[in-house]
Amino acid sequence: MTNRCTLQLTVLLCLTGAALSVNYGKLRFQQRSSNSACQDLLWQLITSPQHCLDDRMDFQIPKQVEQPQQFQKEEAMVVIYEMLQQIHGIFRRNVSNAGWNETIVENLLEELDEQMDRLETALEEIKQEGKFPWESRTVLRLKTYYLGIFQYLKAKFYSRCAWTAVQVEILRNFFFLNGLIGELQD
Amino acid sequence: MFALLGVVLVAGAPCVLPAAAGGTKLKPPQNVEVDIIDDTFTLRWARSREPAGNVTVSADYRMPRIVDNWTKLPGCQHVTSATCDFSSLKMHVYEEIKLRIRAEEGNSTSPWRELDTFIPFQQARIGPPKVHLEAEDKAIAINISPPGAKDSVMWQQENPQYSVIIWRNASGAQTWNETHHSRFPRIKIHKLVPETTYCVRVKARLLLHWNPAEFSPVHCVSTTVENELPAPENIQVILENDTYVLKWDYTHDNVTFEAQWLKSYLKRMPGSQSEKWAQVQGCERAPVARCAPPQDLFRKGIYFRVRASRGSSSSPWSQEEKFDAGRQVVIPPLIVALKPLSSRSLQVSIGFQDQTELQHSLTYEVRFWENASNAERKTFVEQRADFPVLSLKPRTVYCADAQALLEDGPRSQRSRPSNTACAATEAGGAPGALLVAGVAVMLVLCAALALGKLVHYVFFPAGKPPATIEEYFPEEPTKNLLLSTSVEQTEECFIVENVDAVSAKEVNHLDEDHRTYTSQASQDSGHYSIEDESGESGESGGSQAGEELGQRGAGAHSAGGRFA
Repeated sequence: MTNRCTLQLTVLLCLTGAALSVNYGKLRFQQRSSNSACQDLLWQLITSPQHCLDDRMDFQIPKQVEQPQQFQKEEAMVVIYEMLQQIHGIFRRNVSNAGWNETIVENLLEELDEQMDRLETALEEIKQEGKFPWESRTVLRLKTYYLGIFQYLKAKFYSRCAWTAVQVEILRNFFFLNGLIGELQD
Repeated sequence: MFALLGVVLVAGAPCVLPAAAGGTKLKPPQNVEVDIIDDTFTLRWARSREPAGNVTVSADYRMPRIVDNWTKLPGCQHVTSATCDFSSLKMHVYEEIKLRIRAEEGNSTSPWRELDTFIPFQQARIGPPKVHLEAEDKAIAINISPPGAKDSVMWQQENPQYSVIIWRNASGAQTWNETHHSRFPRIKIHKLVPETTYCVRVKARLLLHWNPAEFSPVHCVSTTVENELPAPENIQVILENDTYVLKWDYTHDNVTFEAQWLKSYLKRMPGSQSEKWAQVQGCERAPVARCAPPQDLFRKGIYFRVRASRGSSSSPWSQEEKFDAGRQVVIPPLIVALKPLSSRSLQVSIGFQDQTELQHSLTYEVRFWENASNAERKTFVEQRADFPVLSLKPRTVYCADAQALLEDGPRSQRSRPSNTACAATEAGGAPGALLVAGVAVMLVLCAALALGKLVHYVFFPAGKPPATIEEYFPEEPTKNLLLSTSVEQTEECFIVENVDAVSAKEVNHLDEDHRTYTSQASQDSGHYSIEDESGESGESGGSQAGEELGQRGAGAHSAGGRFA
């Protein structure tokens, strides 16, 4: 029995000692801290949601995002990147009607830019390793979901209440992003 | 009756087929292809070889998730040519779509040919981007507009990256070309030759999708005459005494420098947003090739650029250097230690002053030399923080110092040199070392065997326990006695300790009384030799409990030790 134990232990040590080109632990740490910074900034933006009850909207985020356990770490990375990219695209739009502090919006864009930067490097690495999930259907569903948000904002003329509804939805997005970041495991 | 009907039906079917075979049966179009480039959707097929007549082609579409009936495809109804354009369909580009196509002639139609389901976004090719060039003396700035029209549906949510191929348009034998990849729509290529014509081709690519892309047409531009003042080079942000300082190289004298900065997230923004450069305070007219920007600039990622001026003329802007706050790691001071391993080797150990754990992997550059006047210095580059240096001379003093290199990102960082550590190799020749090694190996083997035996004895006792134990352990005694009994005894002991702790403490002072007390209390216990050992362990609570344990089994001593 002791022999089997030693063998198992040796195998485990070998596996963990193997060189990994993407440092998932470091990536997870960076993404998590960036994510919570973004959530803090978003909370600072919330103005008066109680006036906007009529503008509530179910944007129907793809169900897969709510259950991140099903993703392999490479697909999780791609899904996270797509979400960050789209959220960045949303806050780049005409936010003047929202009545928000411009500095906070800028800080949010900066934070998202940094997060995307890190992921871009990691994505290039997994492309080189040949592990890139080209066929991810979740990414396509996310594009449809964010298109819905863009179209909603446009239809509501980027009004204050429309922005508030979007902001609440993006806060939910960050909650799901936390779950996805947890899947960046070796 | 029904059988008759059945016969008629069966007989009827073959009657139909010969009639069709004999007549002009239309076949659906062959080699049908869907070609999507940006927002232009085209359907192509092979023209039928049969004599033309009035053969037209029509197509339908269906979107399983949205439009579940076959609907006429706009732009592809009764088409006489071999292609049709259905771009007018307001498409959900991320949804699955299915097409079917058939040929028609007069009143007769061919059967439908169904094409494989596809998703337009995945099928589409990326069209050529638009390119605008601006030339300086030794650099060319390339402004790229994304592919597709302004109201493009296909790429509206994308942030494409770009690949640029640049080559020198010279007729001579020397062909030079370079490929650059850019994540942003503005790219500047430096280190070019003045007064030369360069040509570029650009294509877009999507990070997350494998869409093939088309190159833009060739655009050419000539670099200007060489500027009086060259652009500064080698811009760096370095840490000096806990302050970030901007430094660069410049060859000419009598110039002042101007530095600008840009928040790196602006590079992602389309259009002119990406060019909102701001003056660096304290670097508007720097007389030397360095300046100290306000430290609050260095929060997140920023880009710097510098140019030189003399009088009214100024140099072009330098290459943009990115400072990434997240990537700046301050490497704490290193401490190097040398230890003799044998007569021919020394162990180098590198540690940090603060015992901090770094998230990044460091490479160490260790300089090693003999402590003599003309010694040559050898440099080792190691990833390990502890490593031996071999093939040394016996009884010689060697010294070493180290620097840590951080290879994270395009520019590596170097820590300050560590202390210099010296040590001498041991005395003795090679045969001695071998003998010592041999003896050591023997000892290790013996120790391993002994350990194995001990483990076997302790964990897998082969012996049969004494008969008296079986009174207390009616179940089979071949279980792991040590571990199971100690668990039980823990629970028991807590109760015992509480009750007797107070009284036991009083007795602890006098050793004799203590011994008397214990012997009195042990009236009804089995007299085991181990009892005395637990009595000697010193603390009263422990010994009292140890006694109780003594009643229970052989593992008393080690369990009693827990309370000591």
